[in-house]
Amino acid sequence: MKVDNDVALENRLSRVDALLKVAGAAKYASDQYPAKMIYGKLLRFPYGAGTVKSADADAARAVPGVLEVEIDLAETAKYPGWVIGHIVAENRAAIGDAEEAAALAFDATSAASVADRQYDGAGALDAEAKQRVDDVLGRSAAVVEGTWRTQVQTHSCLETHGTVVDFHGDSADVWGNSQSTFSMLDMAEPLGIDRSAVRVDNEFVGGGFGSKFGIGAEGRLAAQMSKKYKRPCKVMLDRREEHLDAGNRPGSIQYIALGAGEDGRILGGRIDGVSIVGFGRGGGGVTNLGDKRFDNYDLGAYEFTQSEINLNFSKPRAFRAPGWPQAVFALEGAVDELAEKLGIDPVEMRRINYRSARRHKQLGIGAELIGWNRRAPTGSQTGRVRTGFGVAGAMWPVWNTECGAEADIHRTGQVEVRVGVQDIGTGTFTLVTDVAAHELGLDRSLVRGKVGRSSYPQGPGSGGSQVSRAAAPATTHAVRAALADLTKIVAKEWKMKPEDVGYSGGVFTGGAKTLEWRKACALMSGDKITASGRTETGQEGDGTSDCVQFAEVEVDTETGIVRVKRIVAVHAAGVIVNRITIENQICGGVVQGLSYALFENVRLDPNTGAMVNPEFINYKLAGPVDIPEIVPVLDVEEGDTGVRPIGEPATIPTAAAIGNAIANAIGARVRELPMTPERVLAALDTKGAGT
Amino acid sequence: MKAFEYAVAKNEKGIHTALARGYTVKAGGIDLLDMLKERIAKTDKVVSILGVESLRGIRETDDHIEIGSLATLAELADDPLVAGLAPSLADSVRHAATPQIRAVATVGGNLCQRPRCWYFRSRDHHCLKKGGSSCFAVEGDNTYHALFGPGPCHIVHPSNLATALRALEGEVVVAGETEKRTVSAADFFAMPDRRMYAENTLEDGEIVLAVRVPKAVGGNAYVDLKEKQSFDWPLASAAVAQVGGRWNVVMGAVAPVPWFAKEASEALREAGGIDAGVAARVADAAIAGAEPMSRNAWRLKLARAAVRRAVLLAAGKEID
Repeated sequence: MKVDNDVALENRLSRVDALLKVAGAAKYASDQYPAKMIYGKLLRFPYGAGTVKSADADAARAVPGVLEVEIDLAETAKYPGWVIGHIVAENRAAIGDAEEAAALAFDATSAASVADRQYDGAGALDAEAKQRVDDVLGRSAAVVEGTWRTQVQTHSCLETHGTVVDFHGDSADVWGNSQSTFSMLDMAEPLGIDRSAVRVDNEFVGGGFGSKFGIGAEGRLAAQMSKKYKRPCKVMLDRREEHLDAGNRPGSIQYIALGAGEDGRILGGRIDGVSIVGFGRGGGGVTNLGDKRFDNYDLGAYEFTQSEINLNFSKPRAFRAPGWPQAVFALEGAVDELAEKLGIDPVEMRRINYRSARRHKQLGIGAELIGWNRRAPTGSQTGRVRTGFGVAGAMWPVWNTECGAEADIHRTGQVEVRVGVQDIGTGTFTLVTDVAAHELGLDRSLVRGKVGRSSYPQGPGSGGSQVSRAAAPATTHAVRAALADLTKIVAKEWKMKPEDVGYSGGVFTGGAKTLEWRKACALMSGDKITASGRTETGQEGDGTSDCVQFAEVEVDTETGIVRVKRIVAVHAAGVIVNRITIENQICGGVVQGLSYALFENVRLDPNTGAMVNPEFINYKLAGPVDIPEIVPVLDVEEGDTGVRPIGEPATIPTAAAIGNAIANAIGARVRELPMTPERVLAALDTKGAGT
Repeated sequence: MKAFEYAVAKNEKGIHTALARGYTVKAGGIDLLDMLKERIAKTDKVVSILGVESLRGIRETDDHIEIGSLATLAELADDPLVAGLAPSLADSVRHAATPQIRAVATVGGNLCQRPRCWYFRSRDHHCLKKGGSSCFAVEGDNTYHALFGPGPCHIVHPSNLATALRALEGEVVVAGETEKRTVSAADFFAMPDRRMYAENTLEDGEIVLAVRVPKAVGGNAYVDLKEKQSFDWPLASAAVAQVGGRWNVVMGAVAPVPWFAKEASEALREAGGIDAGVAARVADAAIAGAEPMSRNAWRLKLARAAVRRAVLLAAGKEID
């Protein structure tokens, strides 16, 4: 069903849960301490591959407070972090002591830890395809050919994955931190009970970014141990485990050969995308480049091939716009290089080639705000510190998903709306509250939006940036249905037909009569009215969430150190509900993209296969000083329908825009992420322009 | 973390009593608690020395500025006396770690912190410093490891303050149970061939009471170059100071100790003035004897840049 702009209610109020969060009153899974709780921990293999050589499980079991130690000596580990057993104990200190007492020793075997050792160039094309590529490049006025590389990035959720399970025999309480409240019902399987007997409390989630679906190995252990010991069991991953085995964005090696005509129009060529993935598949790779639905550009006639390199590393998981930041970094870099060769301004180059008219307009807005006219010709600067400007764009498809909601209007005038989605930090509590308050024309203080429990009507998981779009209209429908019921009560009181009773801004009207909200609510005979609403799937033709981002950077050519000065992010946002949360999502996406562009990198030891930086000292995340001024611009047009996806598009073009700005500043291109001082200096060396 | 007995020392004597009984000293606890949580450091007895008033404060003596070992990095960064005479010392800690850590971390703890080498910090790599038989950095990922020194361990010293202190010809006042001694910064830090299981020459039972910087100091400056500007260790750093009319050039984050650049120091002493050309020559001399590892030669450019800038800043010149 189409959702009209009448849910529009743009406000700038702070998050409804802001105080709870800053005061520590928001209880996350790790904050749950039910009585008699025990703790579980997964034991993990530290190196790239191998087996457990020896372990003293008995010594571990002898540690006071230890309930159970299992170590699988037969297990062949295939990546660092591979589960080889577990410990269950009365407290966390006992777990550490038991792990130490177990004196695990390992036999490490050789592991694939360096992707380039397995890469031997773009895959072969058949003769016809090769001919097509040769033809299109042959008739191009300019051709760019190169190989782009991106690193493996971990989700780095502030709250690590973890679960508390309290099994009661025929039912269970589960405290989780999932991106999908309802996927936590999978706990039914290890518990051996019906899904309807599992109660999930998933109210507060400290970030997910695509890594927190399902119950995970940690949830399974918590369930098994709670069932076995008939006590609540908590299993929280530590930071090391979180990096090693809780999801990652695959790396990539992308070969691109593209040609364009004199007029700047891209004629075609070839793209070969190699995803660098861990054990097993997943996480999107860079395959989206070949998907026509997701085309950033009209690329003309191009051949697309793809393959995978497998490393001894954990399985990738969906990561905020899976496949996209990798692909856009390479493609937007290649397009910039084409523009450079043709002497066409990069903004103009995108006007010529972007499919989306919406983005053409956004280019103008962004160029003005970043001060694109200050952009010096690429490579023209000679000072030690050089300023560069870059642009990149992206889009995100709009999905409409089934979502249920339930609204109560209480006799007291209070309103409660329950939606079985979850707030992974994006502001869903606020969205549901504000949509309901707006729909009823009531002050926010009368309304309470609730999400994150399996007892609420089911909604989608937080994937694909679909929750806000689904939860907003579901809330609207539920609230409208409840209001209709209340209207009937007022009509009955006034002895009128319900359709003759009007309602606006907290006041019922009928003929000359008026009745204020609370007085109307007081007419109900019971304590409350409950009504439900839902949205359906399948609406087509809602377009895309387009965006462009502009970056201004300073590059110190003596040190290779890049400082991002400013990012302007122009995003089609659809109907805006709460401006603070939407701007916050855009800024968060930009920060994660910047961190991906310059810092983050899973580093595997080339010999032992261990991840050498499974912490936050050497797995470098952008910190406050690294984060520039970010200018989020919400592009709203007449006729926009519904709340649009923002979480994922916001992180896609950032690395590409920064990469293009660096190239503009120094006249040399870094084709590999992260764009570290080492790589910037190497690019300058190659060009022979270092100071 | 393993459970430990916890004692609180009220005075220096109390510290030594605890040390004699096998306690490990905790000041700010920044590094020690990390090491205990990771089970890299092992102890079942910890004594807090934070309450020992005699180790606090920053004061002036006839010839020195004396900084108590319990002065925090934030206190050092903000001290007007230090800012006036030895700005390089304040600059070396001003952007270290995070504001929260600087408010707690102490000068003594900073100088004595263990290396950040990711093999040393990994339970799963039994490296030379932990009694193992090889340095994993040699064949492994040595991006952030040493550019100077023969090994066999290739850590870089993690203290920025140490680099500045060494250039200022600072001293470290240390005390054992019965004896107090003053050791130059040059002798306080020890290369792995001298001390494999520690990074300094403290003897068993000794603690750092204070550090001293001579007041007869001329121009001085500290520069570090970091990949990330929030909470990161330098890729390279440099401190340049004129002490008693003698220039010293010291590099940090490039060797297991603050690395005194002898030829560069001599070149600067002989230059008879500082301009851009001199700074560049001194910087070239500073990195001339480097022995980079397989993945880190690029950091020589940063070491060179840090020296060049520190030389210019120490002379009151702008960085071109």
